[in-house]
Amino acid sequence: MSRTARMRYMTSTFIAAAFLAAPGISQAETTLTFVWHAGTCADALVEIAKDYPDKSVKIVPALVPYGPEWHNKIASEFAIKGDAFDFAMWDSQSTAEFAGGGHAVRINDIFATSNYLKPEIFPAASLSRYGEYPDGSGEFYGLPANQDAYGLMYRKDLFEDPKEKRAFKDKYGYELAVPQTYQQAKDIAAFFTRPEKGLYGWGQMGGREYDFATTASNSFLWSFGGELYNPKTYEVKGYLDSPASIDGVQAYVDMFKFGPPGSGNWGFDEVNAAFQQGQLAMAMQWFYFNGSNADPKVNKFADRTAFGVLPGAVGRDKLFRRQFSVGGQGMGINKYSKKLPELTKFMEWYFQPEQQARYAKVCQTGLKAVLESPQWQGLNSYNRQFSVALQYLNDYWHLPEYPVLLDQLQEEISNAVSGAKTVKQALSDAAEKHERTLKRAGYEIKRGDSVPDVPDQLISPVGVKDIAAVD
Amino acid sequence: MSRSRQSGIDLAARWFFLALLAVYTLYNLGPILWLLISSFKSRMDLFSMPPKLIFTPDFSGYESVFGIGSAKNSASAYGVFDALTNSVIVSTAGTALAVFLGTLAGYVCSRFNFIGKGDFMFFVLSTRMLPPVAVLVFYHLMFAELGLADTRLGLILVAVFANIGLATWIMKGFFDGVPKEVEQIAIVSGYTRMYAFLHLVLPMVKGGIAATAGFCFIFAWNEFAFASILTTTAAKTLPVKISAASGATGIEWTQICAAGVVLIIPVLVFFYLIRKHLLMGMTFGVLGRR
Amino acid sequence: MADHITVNSAPAAAVPAPRKRSSGRLMILSFLSPTLLILIFMVAYPIFSLVYYSFFNFSALRPAVAMKPVGLGNYAFLLSDPDLWQRFVFTGKFVALCVTLQMLIGIFVGYRLQKNFRGRDVIFTALMMPMMLSPVVVGFLWRYMFNSEWGVINYLATTIGLEKIDWLGQTNAALFAAAAADTWMWTPFIILLATAAFRGIPDTIYEAAEVDGASPAYTFFTITLPMSAPVLFIALILRLIDSFKQYDLFFALTGGGPGSSTETVSFAVAKTAFSYFYTGEASALAVVLLVIIIGLSMILVRHLNKMGERF
Repeated sequence: MSRTARMRYMTSTFIAAAFLAAPGISQAETTLTFVWHAGTCADALVEIAKDYPDKSVKIVPALVPYGPEWHNKIASEFAIKGDAFDFAMWDSQSTAEFAGGGHAVRINDIFATSNYLKPEIFPAASLSRYGEYPDGSGEFYGLPANQDAYGLMYRKDLFEDPKEKRAFKDKYGYELAVPQTYQQAKDIAAFFTRPEKGLYGWGQMGGREYDFATTASNSFLWSFGGELYNPKTYEVKGYLDSPASIDGVQAYVDMFKFGPPGSGNWGFDEVNAAFQQGQLAMAMQWFYFNGSNADPKVNKFADRTAFGVLPGAVGRDKLFRRQFSVGGQGMGINKYSKKLPELTKFMEWYFQPEQQARYAKVCQTGLKAVLESPQWQGLNSYNRQFSVALQYLNDYWHLPEYPVLLDQLQEEISNAVSGAKTVKQALSDAAEKHERTLKRAGYEIKRGDSVPDVPDQLISPVGVKDIAAVD
Repeated sequence: MSRSRQSGIDLAARWFFLALLAVYTLYNLGPILWLLISSFKSRMDLFSMPPKLIFTPDFSGYESVFGIGSAKNSASAYGVFDALTNSVIVSTAGTALAVFLGTLAGYVCSRFNFIGKGDFMFFVLSTRMLPPVAVLVFYHLMFAELGLADTRLGLILVAVFANIGLATWIMKGFFDGVPKEVEQIAIVSGYTRMYAFLHLVLPMVKGGIAATAGFCFIFAWNEFAFASILTTTAAKTLPVKISAASGATGIEWTQICAAGVVLIIPVLVFFYLIRKHLLMGMTFGVLGRR
Repeated sequence: MADHITVNSAPAAAVPAPRKRSSGRLMILSFLSPTLLILIFMVAYPIFSLVYYSFFNFSALRPAVAMKPVGLGNYAFLLSDPDLWQRFVFTGKFVALCVTLQMLIGIFVGYRLQKNFRGRDVIFTALMMPMMLSPVVVGFLWRYMFNSEWGVINYLATTIGLEKIDWLGQTNAALFAAAAADTWMWTPFIILLATAAFRGIPDTIYEAAEVDGASPAYTFFTITLPMSAPVLFIALILRLIDSFKQYDLFFALTGGGPGSSTETVSFAVAKTAFSYFYTGEASALAVVLLVIIIGLSMILVRHLNKMGERF
């Protein structure tokens, strides 16, 4: 090719490339973009949004894989103060990080000016859980988008089988029923662990990734009266590695004996898969997945699956506590978005009972009107248990340093699960790392007097004398 | 050594090497086959033990990728064809540009010695050494400032930047295999250096260009880290789009397997088209080909 | 033609006739400047920021927290962390294992593929497939295959009488699992380059060796390998650099666990930069990693240049 021909070719290629590089024809309509992880809830939101009466506004999903990428996408955009998305659903634990960094719009301002959006339309606990930062301040930075809680699923055919019931009563001396304490759960799990038949008693997560292991281990830890830290003094040593905490995490690690081999690094997906194959008698799993676990097309044992509330435990101080992990996401607004008026109008429509009732068919709404309606409880086989579970929720640290603390705790719990460290060593190392992290972040740790063996007594006591059974 | 004993050892060696080759082929293609089979399984069948080889095909994975059939209302498949277009444009343009620039730079570094040549070559190589995650935030900021965020041009620049090092070094390697005499004879005969380059040397390194183009296309097509952070909707590429595979049942394995199969097809097509050039290696024209 | 002309090692630009000298220089300039400009444009700000912020206690997500210059504080903190050295050791093991396997297998297969046979180009294209897969999919695929309960690999192990191995829950097994996956994916890279390099060696040289009675093994080590060494060495350097950056695979297979024993240095950078958003600390760690990779590459490149001078 001659030189001139080549130059002409190159020029036209560059012009073509520049033309191709144009992001697309801009339309007269406004787009509201949101970030969420892919799933039925995001599908539901988009589906409902299609019926938004204002046709000049289009809701566009920008979906990411579940896991760290979800957090990274949102965080990265906030870090550059960009407006690539207008609102986002993030895990409840991330509220402190994003609100603390000043990247989320203060919803109180919207509550003040909107006619419909008011704090009262959401249950106080839900609003606080998914949007309040700092704790107890009354400042909200998110609205409940999808509520979730950790729950129990079990094979009711095994529990209701008369032969099994008799054998269990003979062996353990009490009736076979949904466990109310982790001690009972252990007995039942041992009873149902029959590797030769491919059945195991208990399935739980132990994975290193994201929050898998600690979601489960925390549920044990709190129920035994342990605490992650002292929110007022920022002490971790003495709390995270207290005797009560060690009891809880030890109970958690011991339960892996009743799970299939290799279950030590399971995430929620493996728990689902094992249960759907009929390998598990009981499993700890998010309520979020109950929809598909009740679906015969997905779960071979759907008609024999029942859902319940996770057990509690009797701690070393003889008190009974029932606490487990909260899940779900809040909807936060990007402070750097330029479309707040349009977004507010959309939210006023989206949080109407009509829309939220549609949403509740596939996901968990946070709107009081729907949650208190008579139809809600009967929508499926687990909403009743879900509303009971909401009273026993506890959460990770509501601090901007949450991702660091989470990763450090995940690492140590994973060490305990794999047997690389004893539970005591793992928790004590974790406490050490946490305090170092908090110090580097500028928190002052006010070392108090001695901490009780059961720190829950000090923080926000929930222990009761008798086992409060739920069904 | 007697001829029969020599050929006996030869035969044994040949069978041994053939066996090794067979083992490698199994290792190489087995998982691909497994991916293909798995992409047609329903979620229940995926986890059955022993693994099923005979089962009723289930297309839900592919339906999720394209947003059709059972996944008609899936929000994650929204815009999948736009993503496909983006991927094709970004990868093709990025590859073409990277190969073009790398060929030029590789040629010059092969033929001439100039001050700073070694530094230039090393600098070009060093652009490949940095893990993208370390600098993603800075790129994000830079692109946002320049208006390149969520644009195809931005991604094309990333594709070029990521692959020029590879292209330059590989092309230089191939140019080094062409004797300098070729140009010298041409120049002595009255042709320009440029003519020699275009009409004599370039055709000899077609294999190198094909190999480089193949690699660059693969890297550009599968590029994930930059694409996932720098784009949100308009310029999203296909790998980012269909990797968002987590849904109501947990990890959507069927969707991931189907996505893997779908994503590999354009690359396979590209490689198939250039296969003859890939296997040309370096020829010396008059010296005969194998 | 090449046999009859002595090699003129002086650069061609020194050949007289002013027209040619200036055309040579013009060629150098015009051929290099676009590449140089694009690279400088793309690299300048990020690299500068990387080094700059490595000296600060800074988080891009929480700029409200005052950005404090800490000098070498980040480096001191990192280098005194025993976990970090453990990660370097692990990364080193992984890189050494992968590069060795890939080079050996790649050269072997490339050697076998240089001769033409029926269907070769179809087989060749097929063998390239692992490299074409999206790394995200590769991670998931091998995670699925290595699953200790339902994975096909453990199933095959049980059929030949072995016990099920917990591939992804133990450090050493996970190292091999990741190496198996990485080798699977990148050996085709070496195969492609090796095949090209081998095919570039003229037949006449082989014919001459055969006439002299050389065995195939002897020919391989004294002719094939040395003549293809430059391209093979480039392949080695490129693979080395790329495997230092590997973290997607470990992320998909083990999440860095158990504990943090399968975290590579790249993994730690990703974690610090994005999960923690400790931009300053992540930058410092990236600089450390970069220095090591640059150091290693410099040694290899110098060796490569010496190789080139021999010809």
